[in-house]
Amino acid sequence: MSAPKQLYRGWAPWLLLAPYLAITLVFTLYPLLNAAVLAFYQTNGPVSRVFVGLGNFRFLLTDPVFYKALWNTCVFAVCSVFLQLPLSMALALLLNSGNDRLKGFFRLVLFSPNLVGQIFVGILFSVLFTPRYGLINRFVQELTGWGLEEQWLGNPALVMPAIVLTGLWVYVGFNMIYFLAALQGVDKSLEEAARIDGANRLQVFWNVTLPSMRHVVVFVVVTSIIGSFQLFELPLSLLPASNGRGPDNSGLTVISYLYEVGFNSGDLGLGSAVGWVVALIILAISTLQIRLSGAAEEA
Amino acid sequence: MIENFPYGKAPFWLVFLALFSSVVLFATRQRAAEARADLTLATFAVQHHAAYKKVLPEFERQHGVRVGLQLVDMRALQTRLQNAMLAGTEVPDLVEIPDGSIGYFTRGPLKDVGFLDLTERIEHEDYRPRIVHSRFSKWESRGRLFAVPHDVHPVMLVYRSDLLEALGIDAEKLDTWEAFVAAGQKVRQDFDGDGVVDRHMIDLPSAGGFGLTILLTQRGIGLFGSQGEVTFNVPLTVETMVWYLHQTHGPQKISTECGWGQSLMKAMTDGLALFYIAPDWRSYLIQTDVPNLRGKMKLLPLPAWEKGGRRTSVWGGTGLAITRASPKQDLAWALAKFLYFNPTELGKRFTETNILPPFKDAWDLSEFQAPSEFYSGQRLGAEYAKLAPETPPVWDSPYSGVAEGKVSEVFLRAVGHYEQRGDKGLRELIQRELDAAESYVNRVMARNVLGRTP
Repeated sequence: MSAPKQLYRGWAPWLLLAPYLAITLVFTLYPLLNAAVLAFYQTNGPVSRVFVGLGNFRFLLTDPVFYKALWNTCVFAVCSVFLQLPLSMALALLLNSGNDRLKGFFRLVLFSPNLVGQIFVGILFSVLFTPRYGLINRFVQELTGWGLEEQWLGNPALVMPAIVLTGLWVYVGFNMIYFLAALQGVDKSLEEAARIDGANRLQVFWNVTLPSMRHVVVFVVVTSIIGSFQLFELPLSLLPASNGRGPDNSGLTVISYLYEVGFNSGDLGLGSAVGWVVALIILAISTLQIRLSGAAEEA
Repeated sequence: MIENFPYGKAPFWLVFLALFSSVVLFATRQRAAEARADLTLATFAVQHHAAYKKVLPEFERQHGVRVGLQLVDMRALQTRLQNAMLAGTEVPDLVEIPDGSIGYFTRGPLKDVGFLDLTERIEHEDYRPRIVHSRFSKWESRGRLFAVPHDVHPVMLVYRSDLLEALGIDAEKLDTWEAFVAAGQKVRQDFDGDGVVDRHMIDLPSAGGFGLTILLTQRGIGLFGSQGEVTFNVPLTVETMVWYLHQTHGPQKISTECGWGQSLMKAMTDGLALFYIAPDWRSYLIQTDVPNLRGKMKLLPLPAWEKGGRRTSVWGGTGLAITRASPKQDLAWALAKFLYFNPTELGKRFTETNILPPFKDAWDLSEFQAPSEFYSGQRLGAEYAKLAPETPPVWDSPYSGVAEGKVSEVFLRAVGHYEQRGDKGLRELIQRELDAAESYVNRVMARNVLGRTP
């Protein structure tokens, strides 16, 4: 090999990696470290800051509003896992058994809510949830004789169901795509063998199909929970007048809380502390899930 | 050379394109910097942007400068401004800031506020007596003024005069809330007998929201006082909440919630509610969004809480601030005066927005005295201007969001109590909840170490 070529081989990978490394350094690592430091400061508006030690964390852990936000976020996360994902799976199973032309059409239809931004979805649903005139109110009224004048976005008891319903419309199709891809990778001969052995549909699904796509399921569950903990745009666009809080903070999520304290009240230090607490919660839940699924696999 | 590049041609061209685009970007930035305006003004309001675009050439001609006008979404404007100040990067010379956002910028010590202190300029140039006094409050912190008010936003009621007349109700007699509620009981009707009331007296949010805030403001109750102290926990708040609760919940309620946008306009057209809370800016939205109601709508001052009492409130506001980092602060101040204290321009702008400027010199202009076809020949400008001196002051705080949330919480707890147990123990519950809310807001505020220092 010639000398210039050897020289190129030495620096070329670094040169090609340089943009990625620079961007990661500037926009990921530096903010991450800065946020870690900032969590121990109190900031007042854009300029001033003062060291407060663990003060931000102490305040956070005794703040009922933060707990309310955490509770709302957990409710959404639980609904994501126990409502969204089974629905996604059901749709994926349905599509997987249909003919190819219809499969393509419905895949597009069900995935299409993801092609529009969450802000758009929020605005759309805020119209659908309008008392008396909203499509959902009218539909529910026709179906049950109740709900024409219901304030989905004004009644604290109905705000979270409204957010969950909106989330369902957006994410069911998205997760379905993952499940559909996984289903297409399941070994058909195993399912066939189980059927020959006398297993019914449910048994085939539970004992053969689901274990075969376990890795995808774990991935979808983990990403759904992470996504749920990052919920921000939907409540913000559904409840714009209260900055996403909703009546009695019924729509407040941990990220909305972070936004409120960091960018409306001007305490980026407390905002950073919230960010770190949320990151730790997500890390703990994800680790637990991965461990549990690993244990199940070993068993 | 390409042949000698490791990994082949594709990586070579990738590197080449990256370097080439960097050079082009750098060169065009340099050129853009050369063509930069002498002053930059950022606004979030489309109507303001359109109005300023028309008048800025005159300012440019008078001063021999170029003014750059930017239209930025309200939320983005605040976030970008915050970030720019935080990072010490370029900021506009002048910024129009929306209601509720000044608190963030004035949270720290006064010396760290990123906006120019305009107190002396307003005093020395004798503008204070020429501007509606209450409107300074929103842009003040610890007695210092950081923006000039763009508007008054006095609140009136817009109503379906045709339907009210058909019911034989004289709007002029609805001068107190007591009389208003009594009339409201007669208005409630279920036309089709399905158990759902089809006509209500007034549009009020059932969760409190802007309706409760406006009525509290009318009674002089704000969330915060001039020194940033909590002021919402007073006996009148309890009374107002109980009253509001009775009008929005239970069998005797006189209101419904009509929402925003299309549903609001549909409700107006259908006559679902007869009265709608309307500050000046909303009167414009109504006349543009439901043109079919031309000649069927009228304006009425808010009923007073007691005979001869205040007949208005305020809702919203915009202020014009000059950033401290601006290298041309005097020129920026000249532009601020040109836009906000130039009566001729304010007259034209009123016809395009219905927004009453706080600069009183302008109110005698013909535009403010002209009858409005939409509002059944009423002199819209004069009607709002008549109420402007009565508008109560409202102080903003970085904790406004926190306090609003807490007051809303108190009201909703009261709703829960009322729906289960009625009036029994209602006042006591509201008082207890208000005490807790005040204590919480004070606790959050007490964390602000730096904001206490001047």
